[in-house]
Amino acid sequence: MELVVRKAEILRELQLFQGIVERKNTIPILANVLFDATTTELRLLATDLEVALSSRCEGIVTKPGTLTVPAKKLYEIVRALPDTDIRIVEEKGAVRVSADRFDSRIQTLPKDDFPTLPAPSHKQVATLPHAGLRQMVAKTQFAITGEDTRYFLNGAKFILKPGSLTLVATDGHRLAHVEVNCQTGLKAESGVILPKKTLIELGKLLSEFDGDVSFEAGENHLFFQLGGRTLVSRMIDGQFPAYERVIPKGNDKILEFDRDRLTNAVKRVALLSNERSRAVKFEVTTGSVDVTSSSSEFGDAREQIVVDYTGTPLTISFNAQYVLDFLNVVETDVVSLALKDEVSQAVMRPVAADGYNYTYVIMPMRI
Amino acid sequence: MPTRRILHLDMDAFYASVEQRDDPALRGKPVAVGGDAARRGVVAAASYEARTFGVHSAMSMARALRLCPSLVVVRPDFARYKAASDTIFALYRAVTPLVEPLSLDEAYLDVTENAWAEPLGVTIAKRLKIQIREATGLSASAGVAPNKFLAKIASGWKKPDGLTVIAPERVEAFLQGLPVDALWGVGPVTAGKLKAAGITRLVDVRAADPEVLRGAVGSSAEWLHRLAHGLDDRPVVPHHAPKSSGSESTYPTDLTDLAEMTREVEVMAHDAAAWLEKKALFARTVTLKVRYGDFTTVTRSHSDRATRDAGSLAARAASLLARTDAATRPVRLLGVSVHNLEETDVETSRPDAHPRLPWDD
Repeated sequence: MELVVRKAEILRELQLFQGIVERKNTIPILANVLFDATTTELRLLATDLEVALSSRCEGIVTKPGTLTVPAKKLYEIVRALPDTDIRIVEEKGAVRVSADRFDSRIQTLPKDDFPTLPAPSHKQVATLPHAGLRQMVAKTQFAITGEDTRYFLNGAKFILKPGSLTLVATDGHRLAHVEVNCQTGLKAESGVILPKKTLIELGKLLSEFDGDVSFEAGENHLFFQLGGRTLVSRMIDGQFPAYERVIPKGNDKILEFDRDRLTNAVKRVALLSNERSRAVKFEVTTGSVDVTSSSSEFGDAREQIVVDYTGTPLTISFNAQYVLDFLNVVETDVVSLALKDEVSQAVMRPVAADGYNYTYVIMPMRI
Repeated sequence: MPTRRILHLDMDAFYASVEQRDDPALRGKPVAVGGDAARRGVVAAASYEARTFGVHSAMSMARALRLCPSLVVVRPDFARYKAASDTIFALYRAVTPLVEPLSLDEAYLDVTENAWAEPLGVTIAKRLKIQIREATGLSASAGVAPNKFLAKIASGWKKPDGLTVIAPERVEAFLQGLPVDALWGVGPVTAGKLKAAGITRLVDVRAADPEVLRGAVGSSAEWLHRLAHGLDDRPVVPHHAPKSSGSESTYPTDLTDLAEMTREVEVMAHDAAAWLEKKALFARTVTLKVRYGDFTTVTRSHSDRATRDAGSLAARAASLLARTDAATRPVRLLGVSVHNLEETDVETSRPDAHPRLPWDD
């Protein structure tokens, strides 16, 4: 194998592979990225057996071939090089990477050890709108724990209907639900659980590509195609919890906040919250909400927000981080908070959101 | 959580071994420590010689004697067991402060960080076994693993005088070979139910239908599920959790003003709240203690939703004053304490004590 690529081109692709390769190093080949050069193109491929990414890179291939090279080391080297042409030449058991007056030799691993990846069948392909999908991923991925042994909570439920897409994630304490209306080209409804890593990597790919995404669910794998890049993900096997039932319907005490005001108040007041629980209280009375906190170690804080409210007064307590997680991903000027009482789950929503429906459910804390 | 190094150390036939150590005539003989068969005594510990006859602890002594007519029955002498135990625990605590006793002869040690700066749990286990033998003449079996559940299974793997290590990379292989009834808490009945559902190996739990699993083991399903993945993040807790906290004050001259008493009670309730917060606990019960001028003492309690909110604890404590004669009799002592504590998970930055959404499970 022998080829020349532009630094900027290969760097952009290698960067996307950094999140894919396996970090624990239990199987050495999974730390490597496969270079597959034909006379017409260079294909790159990496996987940790849960998620795989394949992409293309422009370059001039003078001698076709296949090899595997440590993804992290190569990325570090390429990043450190000046913006110029990089020569990649296969040697016995190694690859020579050179540019300008820099020359290096990196050990490779046998290409035959690299796992074979499932291929999409192109039978039932859905078209997912770029903007909608990006909204959904950004607004739900933070609610997945990633380390819960209730395996189904390590992913987000993705529901595809002919006329809409829904993504739901929960860590058991709060839940994020986003629905986007769009024509998917599908005939029937289907649902899968996406691993957290898939969502994170998908989020990165969406910020590097503007077009719509082709999606296909195989028997055990999911395929997201974004231009020349394909993200392959294992499906999480299992029953996602009956999330519809924890989204309350009858929360009739509705408050509306200026998003920035609320964000700033919660951030400031949370500075004096208990460091472990991060609890902030919302003391709701006619015409105002006092956001308060207290820490036995440091003291207490209070900030008043004027709201249009005439219902029964009540006090409810939330983990400040859970509230901020929501506020950080919405972009509308106004957000609403719908309450039932001190102990039942609360619902936050962006007001007048464009193109999506976002429902965020939080369980209040005990006070 | 980074990989921990947990040891489970279990003395071999502890009471019986102490007896055999102290009385040479008992060595090599089947010995059972326990109560008199004629008085419905049970076996507290059986020597390995007795175990070959099928004698085991918790069995009735009468049955033990039927199984092994040559059994030597010894009445327990807890003072000597306690002395041996103290020696052993002192050795443990010289390695790490994170020693969680399960009984006189059984403990978990978290040696992730240890006084010997020893990176390998197995080396610590080996040295401790030698030290125990030198100091007490007794043998212990040890298990070394990344968590408590695996360490406990490991120590039981080879007994007596065993040492079993389950390195993190071997956990999966180990789990694959484990029958589901290897778990404590899974007795023959539960194991039978699980087997009927096609779950014979622990790893079968992973793929089991959650409904079926819940049917067999009830609320332990989630726990079992964690174990089936080799996961157990329970910390090694060196001291048992406190059951209550409180403070009281005796006043130089008896209090007669109810408003003053209320202020005193509120201050003590605030102290209790601060303590709860520091300990990451919630209390369901607030107790008020009142000693009148004539030394008669009463207590009044109030239980409700667990809280550590100072205002709500103070209000609850103050309202208890109304259920005493404090308004009409002079008071020399007041006390406020909190009980029925509920824990929060102190190990995670995200509070696991945070209430969960009302799922159906």
